[in-house]
Amino acid sequence: MDIQEYFSLVFSDYTLRTITLGTAILGAVTGMLGSFAVLRKQSLLGDAISHAALPGIAIAFLITGAKDSNILLLGALVSGLIGTFWIRGIITKTHLKSDTALGLILSLFFGFGMLLLTFIQKQPNANQAGLDKYLFGQAATLVESDVWLMAGVTVVCLFVLLLFWKEFKILLFDADYTKTLGFNTKFIDVLITTFIVLAIVLGLQTVGVVLMSAMLLAPAAAARQWTNSLGIMVFLAAIFGAFSGVLGTAISASQNNLSTGPIIVLVAATVVVFSFVFSPSRGLLFKQIRFIKNRRDLELHKTLAFMYHIAETHEDISHPHTIKILNNFQGYTRGTLQKLVKKNYVTLDGNMWSLTEEGFNTAENLYNQQSTSNE
Amino acid sequence: MNSAQIEIQLIASLVAIACAIPGTFLVLRKMAMISDAISHSILPGIVIGFFITQDLNSPLLIVLAALTGIITVVLVEYIQKTGLVKEDTAIGLVFPAMFSIGVIMIAKNANDIHLDVDAVLLGELAFAPFDRLEISGVDVGPKSLWIIGSILLVTITLLLAFFKELKVSTFDKGLAASLGFSPAIIHYGLMSVSSVTTVGAFDAVGAILVVALMIAPAATAYLLTTDLKKMLGLAIGFGALSAISGYWFAHWLDASIAGSITTMLGLLFLIVYLFAPSKGVIAVMYREKQQRTEVSLLTFLLHLKNHTEKRERHVNHLQEHINWQKVRAKTVLDLALKNNMITISNDIVSLTKKGNTFTSKAIDYIITNEDTQIEDMKEDFFLFRG
Amino acid sequence: MDNIAVKVDDLTVAYNYKPVLWDIDLEIPEGVLMAIVGPNGAGKSTLIKAILGILKPIAGSVTIYGNPYDKQRKLVAYVPQKGSVDWDFPTTALDVVMMGTYGSLGWIKRPKQKEKKAALEALEKVGMLAFKNRQISQLSGGQQQRIFLARALAQNASIYFMDEPFQGVDATTEIAIINILKELRKAGKTVIVVHHDLQTVPEYFDWVTFLNVKKIATGPVKDIFNDNNLTKTYGINYKVSIQK
Repeated sequence: MDIQEYFSLVFSDYTLRTITLGTAILGAVTGMLGSFAVLRKQSLLGDAISHAALPGIAIAFLITGAKDSNILLLGALVSGLIGTFWIRGIITKTHLKSDTALGLILSLFFGFGMLLLTFIQKQPNANQAGLDKYLFGQAATLVESDVWLMAGVTVVCLFVLLLFWKEFKILLFDADYTKTLGFNTKFIDVLITTFIVLAIVLGLQTVGVVLMSAMLLAPAAAARQWTNSLGIMVFLAAIFGAFSGVLGTAISASQNNLSTGPIIVLVAATVVVFSFVFSPSRGLLFKQIRFIKNRRDLELHKTLAFMYHIAETHEDISHPHTIKILNNFQGYTRGTLQKLVKKNYVTLDGNMWSLTEEGFNTAENLYNQQSTSNE
Repeated sequence: MNSAQIEIQLIASLVAIACAIPGTFLVLRKMAMISDAISHSILPGIVIGFFITQDLNSPLLIVLAALTGIITVVLVEYIQKTGLVKEDTAIGLVFPAMFSIGVIMIAKNANDIHLDVDAVLLGELAFAPFDRLEISGVDVGPKSLWIIGSILLVTITLLLAFFKELKVSTFDKGLAASLGFSPAIIHYGLMSVSSVTTVGAFDAVGAILVVALMIAPAATAYLLTTDLKKMLGLAIGFGALSAISGYWFAHWLDASIAGSITTMLGLLFLIVYLFAPSKGVIAVMYREKQQRTEVSLLTFLLHLKNHTEKRERHVNHLQEHINWQKVRAKTVLDLALKNNMITISNDIVSLTKKGNTFTSKAIDYIITNEDTQIEDMKEDFFLFRG
Repeated sequence: MDNIAVKVDDLTVAYNYKPVLWDIDLEIPEGVLMAIVGPNGAGKSTLIKAILGILKPIAGSVTIYGNPYDKQRKLVAYVPQKGSVDWDFPTTALDVVMMGTYGSLGWIKRPKQKEKKAALEALEKVGMLAFKNRQISQLSGGQQQRIFLARALAQNASIYFMDEPFQGVDATTEIAIINILKELRKAGKTVIVVHHDLQTVPEYFDWVTFLNVKKIATGPVKDIFNDNNLTKTYGINYKVSIQK
C-alpha cells in the first residue's frame, strides 16, 4: 500500500479510520498541553512521567489480570502522578537538582516497570502478550473505544482550557503576581499538571513510553516559532500535532515493518526543523539574511562616512577624488561603490568619484547619530 | 555459583562502576538528563556501526556510537544557543528524534540485523557470557567483560590524571578558566567518556538502565556526603552493590537482570532518601520542626527585648498578636521558662539577664548572616538543642 | 498621625528555616512615597513578598487599612522584579498590562472593553501606548519595566509595592517612573519601593525604612536619612555626601 492508497482508504476502511482519528486527536491534545509544559520550562517532565507510567501498567495487569486498556491506563495515571509528586518531593526536600530528580525517577520507575514486564512474560498466562506495545506504542491496536476515550478527554481538556484561559496564561507568565491578585495558584497548577499527565498516559498505547515526550514538546516548540500570541501558539501546536499524527500513521501504514510511534515523532521533528529554519520572525534563515543585510548596510555606511571625511576637507563637497584612495579602506569594495552610485549618494566619472549633496547630508546625519549614541 | 553466574556479576559490577564515575560528575554539574539523551541517541550510531562491522562488540562500533553521542551533545547545545527554545526543550527534541531514526533503521533491516528493540532498552546481560573472546584459540573470557573492563580502565586513568581539573571545573567554572584549564575541554572530555561508557554498557544493560546506573548511585551518594572523593567512592559502592544484589533478585524472580538492578538502585535510593542522617527526608523534617521551635523562641525573645510596654508582653499577646497557634506558643513559652530566659509575673513576661544577653548575642550573629557563625552559637547555647 | 496604610506586626520570615527577617514592626502612613533600603540579603524583597502573602511568615501579622491582606487585596498593586519572569513569553505589551485587571475580574470572567480601556490608559501614562502590540521580548529593559508599572497602574489600587523598579533601566525611564510615582503620591496613594541607589533617596522619596534582617529605622527622609542609620544598616562606617 502506498500513501495515495492510504488516503483513498482512510474514509472507507474501519481500522485505518480509527487509527488515523486516534493519532490525530492524540497529536492535537498533546500539542495543546505541550505548549504549557514548554512555557513552564518543564519540557523533560513529560519524559519522566511517561517512563514513570510503565510500572503502573504492569501492576494494573498483575492485579486485574485483564488487558482492558482503560484499567491499564488508570494504573499508568496513578503511577505517573506518583512519579510527578516524588520528583517534586526530591527537589523541595533535598539538595538534588531538578535534572537529577527527573533522571532518577525516569530510569528507576522504568527499570522497575521492565522488571515487572519480564516477570509477567514468564508467567504461565496466555493473556499477557501485547503489554510491550506500551514501550513503543502500536497505533494498530487502537480500537473505537480508545478513540472515544481520547476524544472525551480532549473535549474536557478543551473546555477547561477555555474556561480557565485567563488564569492559565497569567500563571504561566508570572506566578507570584498571580498569587497577589488572589488566585489560588496551587489549584491552577494542579489542574495543568493533571491534564499533562492525562495526555501523556493517553498517548502511551499509540506512541509508547519512550517517545511520548516528543509528542508533547515538538508541536509546541514548532508552534512557538510562528507566533507571539499564546492563543495562536496553542492552536498551531494542536494543528501540528494532529498533522504529525495523521502523516505519521499514513507513512507507517504504507510501509512494512514500521511502527507508528517513531514515524510520528520523526514527522513532528521535521516540522520543528522546518519551523526553526523558515519561520519569518525567529527562523535561522531569515535571521541570517537580516544579519548579512545589516552587515552590508554597515559597510555601506562606513564607506560613505570615509568619503565624507575626505570630502569634508574640501570646500566644494562634490570635488572629484580618485578611486585609488578608497583602496586602503577596509569596507570598500566595487560592490559598495556601485550601491552608493545607485542610491545617488555618489557620482562616478572615469577613475574619479565625487559625493553628491544628498550623499553628503546622509553621511552627516549618520555621523551625528553615531556621536550622540556614543555619549 | 557457576562460572557464567560469576561472569555476569562481574560484568554487571564493572558496568556499574564505569557508569558511577562519569555519573557523579554529571549529577554535580546538573547535567543528569544529558545522559538520558546520550543513551537514547546513540542508537542510530550503533545500527550504522553494526552495518559496517557486523559485530556488536567491535571497537569501531563503539567509536561510531560514541561519536553519535558527542554529536547529540553538540546539537543540543547548538539549539540552545539559537535561543529559539528553552534549554530543556532542546534535549527533549533531539533524543526522541535520534532514537526514532535508530528504531526505524532496525525495523527496516530486521532480516539483516540481530538487534531487537527490547534488547536496546534492556540489554542481554544473561547472554553476555556466551559471546567469548578468543586470543589465538585460547578462551580468555566474555567479550563484554573485556570491553567494559578496558573502558573502566581508561575512565579511571583519566579520572586520576585530571581529578584536580575536573573538581575545580565542576565547582567553579570561572576559577577553572582562570587557572588555565579550558572548561570546554573538560566538558567535552566528560561527554566523550559518558558516551563511550554508555555504548560499552549499552549491550549489557540497555539504554535506560545506563541512565539509572549513571544517575542513581551518584544521587544516592550525594545525599550522604558532599565531599567529592567520598561521593565517588560511595557511588561506586552503591553501583556494585545493586549490580550483585540485582542479579540474585532477578535470578530468584526469573526476570530481567537489568530491570532488577534498577529496582535495587531504586530501593537503595528510597532508603537513603528517607533515612539519610542529615539530608534524608525524615531528618530534614525533624530538623525543620526543631528549627521552627528555635526560630519561634528567638522571635519571641527578640520581641520581648524590643518592647518595654506591658501590653506587648502579656502572655495572651503571643497568641493574639504574634499570630501563632496555641500549641506552638505554649511550647515556646515552656522552653524559654525551662532555660531561665524569662520570668512571668501576673501574666507579664520579662526577659531575665541571661535571656537578655542571649538575645543580644543572637541578633548580632544573625545580622552577620553567616551560617558558620550560627553553627558556633548552637554550641554556645545548649538551648538550641533543647 | 494620619491613616496607617500598612501595618506590620512582629513579622518573622525564614527561608528554609534560616531567618531573613526578624520581628519587624512597621507602620506605613497613607500617602507616603517610601524607599526600603539595605544591603544585599537584608530581606527587602522578602518583606514585600511577605506583606503581599507570596511568602508565608513564621510569625507576625500584616494588615492593610486594618484588615488582613486577603480582604484588601484589591487595594494593593505589585510590581515584581523585572528579572522574575520570562520575557520571551508569547504575549504582547497590552496583554501583560491587561493582567492587572484580572484581580478585580476574579475567576473565569474574561476582560472586556472596560478592562481594555483601563489597560490602554495605563499604557499611555507610562508613555508606551505606541508599543501596545509589541511582543514583550522586543522591548528594551526600560520599556519592560514600564510595562510592569503600567500593569500595576491598571490595578487601580491605593497602595503600590515595587521591587527595584529602577534596576537596569535607562535614565529616561528612571525619570519617567519617578514622575509617575510622585503623581501617585499626589493623588493620595501610598507607594513602597525597594531601592538600591542611596544617592537618589532624598531626591525621590519622602519616607524611608532601613532594613537589615531587622528594622533599623523608619520615618521621614529628612529626619532619619543620616550617616548614623546608614552605618547601622550597612555595617561599615558609611558616609554618603548628600545635599539636603
